[in-house]
Amino acid sequence: MTAIALLLTIIIPLFSGVGMFIFPQKMRRVKEALLILSSLAGLCLSVFLFKQDFTFNLPWIGPGLGLSFRMYNFSAFMLLSTGFFGFLIASYSVVFMQGKKFVSQFYGYFLLCLGFSNGVFLADNLLAMLFFWEGFLVLIFGMIAVGNKDAFKTATKAFIIVGITDLCLMAGIALTAHLSGTMVISSINLPLNNTLANLAFILLMVGAISKGGAMPFHSWIPDAAIDAPLPFMSLIPAALEKLLGIYFLTRIALDLFQFTAHSALSTLLMVVGALTIILAVMMALVQKDYKRLLSYHAISQVGYMILGIGTALPVGIVGGIFHMINNALYKSGLFLTAGSVEKQTGTTNLEKLGGLGRKMPVTFGCFLITAFAISGVWPFNGFFSKELVYDAAIERGWIFYLAAVLGSFFTAASFLKLGHAAFLGKLGSENTKTKEAHWSMLFPMAVIAIVCVVFGVFNQLPLNHLIQPVLAGKLAGHNFSGFPASMKLVVITCVVLFLALVNHILGVRAKGSGLHALDHIRYAPGLAKIYDLAEKRFFDPYNWGLGLVGIISRISLGIDRGINWLSDGLTVRLAYGFSSGIRKMHTGNYSVYLAWSLVGMLVIFGFLVIF
Amino acid sequence: MHALLILAPFLGSFILNLPFRKVNKRLSFGVCAALFLLQMAVILIPDFGLNKINPAALANIFNFDLGVDALSKVMLFCIGLVALVTLCTNSLFLKDSDDKFNFINVLLIAVSGMNGIVLAKDIFSLYVFLEITAVASFILIAFNREELGLEGAFKYILLSSIATVLMIAGIALFFLVSGSTHFAAIHSALLAQDKSLLINLAIALFVSALFIKGGLMPFHGWLPDAYSSAPAASSVFLAGIVTKAAGVYVLIRILVSIAGFSLTLKSVLLFVGAFSAIIGAIAALTQTDFKRMLSYSSISQIGYIILGVGTGTVLGLAGAALHIFNHAVFKSLLFMNSAAVEKALGTRDISKMGGLGSQMPVTGLTSVLGSLSCAGIPPLAGFWSKLIIIIALWSAGFKTYAVIAILGSVLTLAYFLSLQRSVFFGKLNAEFKNIKEAGFSLLFPMILLGVITLGVGIFLPLVLDKFILSFNAVLGG
Repeated sequence: MTAIALLLTIIIPLFSGVGMFIFPQKMRRVKEALLILSSLAGLCLSVFLFKQDFTFNLPWIGPGLGLSFRMYNFSAFMLLSTGFFGFLIASYSVVFMQGKKFVSQFYGYFLLCLGFSNGVFLADNLLAMLFFWEGFLVLIFGMIAVGNKDAFKTATKAFIIVGITDLCLMAGIALTAHLSGTMVISSINLPLNNTLANLAFILLMVGAISKGGAMPFHSWIPDAAIDAPLPFMSLIPAALEKLLGIYFLTRIALDLFQFTAHSALSTLLMVVGALTIILAVMMALVQKDYKRLLSYHAISQVGYMILGIGTALPVGIVGGIFHMINNALYKSGLFLTAGSVEKQTGTTNLEKLGGLGRKMPVTFGCFLITAFAISGVWPFNGFFSKELVYDAAIERGWIFYLAAVLGSFFTAASFLKLGHAAFLGKLGSENTKTKEAHWSMLFPMAVIAIVCVVFGVFNQLPLNHLIQPVLAGKLAGHNFSGFPASMKLVVITCVVLFLALVNHILGVRAKGSGLHALDHIRYAPGLAKIYDLAEKRFFDPYNWGLGLVGIISRISLGIDRGINWLSDGLTVRLAYGFSSGIRKMHTGNYSVYLAWSLVGMLVIFGFLVIF
Repeated sequence: MHALLILAPFLGSFILNLPFRKVNKRLSFGVCAALFLLQMAVILIPDFGLNKINPAALANIFNFDLGVDALSKVMLFCIGLVALVTLCTNSLFLKDSDDKFNFINVLLIAVSGMNGIVLAKDIFSLYVFLEITAVASFILIAFNREELGLEGAFKYILLSSIATVLMIAGIALFFLVSGSTHFAAIHSALLAQDKSLLINLAIALFVSALFIKGGLMPFHGWLPDAYSSAPAASSVFLAGIVTKAAGVYVLIRILVSIAGFSLTLKSVLLFVGAFSAIIGAIAALTQTDFKRMLSYSSISQIGYIILGVGTGTVLGLAGAALHIFNHAVFKSLLFMNSAAVEKALGTRDISKMGGLGSQMPVTGLTSVLGSLSCAGIPPLAGFWSKLIIIIALWSAGFKTYAVIAILGSVLTLAYFLSLQRSVFFGKLNAEFKNIKEAGFSLLFPMILLGVITLGVGIFLPLVLDKFILSFNAVLGG
């Protein structure tokens, strides 16, 4: 029974996803119902399966390549999260997507995504996991591509970036299987004592953190924020990708390899995390678009998770996973608020927004809660997970802590700016008739906002039941729930948040508007040039890659033309020249032919005599 | 009983010219076709009734020695096949019934001569049959009594007579050395007195004469003119079988039965073969006359056959024999295609054609089969013979020649593809919008030969080892 339920979590979304493509265009209502019912079924099944622990094998290609699934506490947690976000965002999409093009395609991809991510979470075999993981890649492409007119380009960008890192993952999986002699995840536990194992770890890590959206694999996300349909942003980069990436990173660090603190790989991960936090949040500061600003935060926040897990300390890993689920909550919530603003006003450009707080009180309320959560304000969930990460970071070095705290400062500053620009201030003349969004769009936002509060105030609930069981046996008796252990760090956090508020007020005083409150950072001496270049996408690794590919392709073209000239130009010209020469020799004069024959005979005779 | 194969066509033409010519004229096509079919059947079916007639009794009538081995059988079959398709082609091209009747008579004599060439084991009888074939061929080339045909025939006569002179001088020298004209006797005499100047001269004379007959470079001068100016049916006959029987087959027979394969002789053969294969193919590249291109292609393909012979091994001989057969099939086919195109368009100029495939689907399709088989593309028959020749060259240690043979194949493909592109593919010239496919009597042999090319290509691998092994006896005897 449980095995069937487990398979159903994958099969139901896949079948109904395919159904979306099969059913005729006119059956819109049926499709909407199917979307909501399938995602609800996923949620129910994950609740039913919660706290179960078993392995289920399907014989597949051959011995050792069985399709095996394992249900245990981490998978259950992930499945529950997927079900939760899937259902909420599905019911949001039904309203949001009304009147848009390619709706059934979007619904189809949406459900397939749910099925595939459940597959990744349940797979106990690297090959099976890879199958679902790669399937996800195609779906990302499809979901972005159905957006606005530039979406195809962005979809290609996402496909190339994620595709390349997925190749790394594939290589890593091959290497891991080679080293351990098995594909079964639960029986792999490699020591990181040789180069190959380290290489395998790095390759798998690249696959995982790029799925999470860490730098330098992030650059498609801000573009997708503008081009892709909004529910995509809310579901994939905000929620599912973080879940997938961090889930797999945790599995690598905890299960697949004997990953220890103070190792070089641990430091590497922490550096990636710290840089992602700082660089992405610096970019978020200067954005003038609601969705694009959020997308940079989606990148920045993953830095905290990587930093936390990278410490390889129990407190850091717990903090990282907790931050993952918290981020998924408040970030998808924030994207949903962006969606309702977009739906009601027709734009997410902050220059045109303002004063919406009075017109859209529920949206504003949800925004406030989720913004407090992401900024790490007590007692919302983000506060607790960030404190855990700080705790771990400072144990590994003050520089990492500094990066994390600085990230917090900028996060808070940019959300003050965003909130001020969108919901406070003067109401734009175009938006005087704006109304609150439809209740079915408000409902998911509200639920998410409430969960943000619950996970903060009653943080024992997620920590004791969802997260700490993942590390069973490695906690060494610690319990990280309740109020943070280190008061010193809490005080610093409060000071930092206060400074961010002061900074904002001073900025508003100086420039006179919320939107420009951070201009003193944007145009600070030294930073201004860097920002200018960044806005021209000078730092986008994708563009560097494209440039490099351009050079390689030009060289290849040159070589190709050269060979072509040799084969199609020179040889052909030679052959034809030779041929017409021979033709001219055939004058039709038989005495010439006679002479040839006689000379030929004499040569043959001479040859026979001499040799 | 194979003596009957010489006698029957001869008697056939004799009987056809007895009184009751009106009846005979009507019967001539059927009789002739039946004879050729019979010839093929005799080869294909060992238990055929005629095979049980005691050969000695008949052979004694003429008092010359006959011999049959695998090589002769291949040749006899090819002669029957090509003669049959020539007959069909002719029936479409000659309107006048007298002309038709005359053509059939000459054809019968030529077939009789070639059967004689193939079966003779005596160098003088061989020479006589060669002359019979040659004279019949002159008539066939000049059959339409048009200026070009006469010119081609004239060139053929001139060079052929040179060949005759060389050959008769060679025969005289052999006779001088051995005191006999029988193959075996000459062979043993040659073995006894090795490497004399006289023998070398005799061999050089003979080989050169046969190179002329076979149309190898640089002895080929007559060939493009004769092939391209001859009437359609004569081209098919000449290119398909006459030069192979009169030139290549006799050369093989002389080498195997008389001269033996010395290394020097092998080098001569390989060089001339490779030279013809490559230069013929290059020359074909820029030809604008459909039949002339095919003529140069013939030179190139004969070069391949000589390359196979030049190895002096069983494998090489088998490859050469197989290529003779394949060449008879695909070159007859291609000449028939050219005849169909010429009949429809009234021109042989390739540069004026294009897109004919849509109007003449059968011709187009079969010409693709023929071209690809000629270029040695699997699974068509030509692939196997070229493959065997190349393998034979490689395993006999002539690796450079093997590489040259492969390059020649590429050239072959090049000119055939450009031919196909400019004739059957591409845009149809508006001038030729209303052309029609050729008549049934041309389509039937085309389809027949196309099916043979494809069928042999597909089923040959099943019997390839037996086929090759049967050539052990050729070299041993």
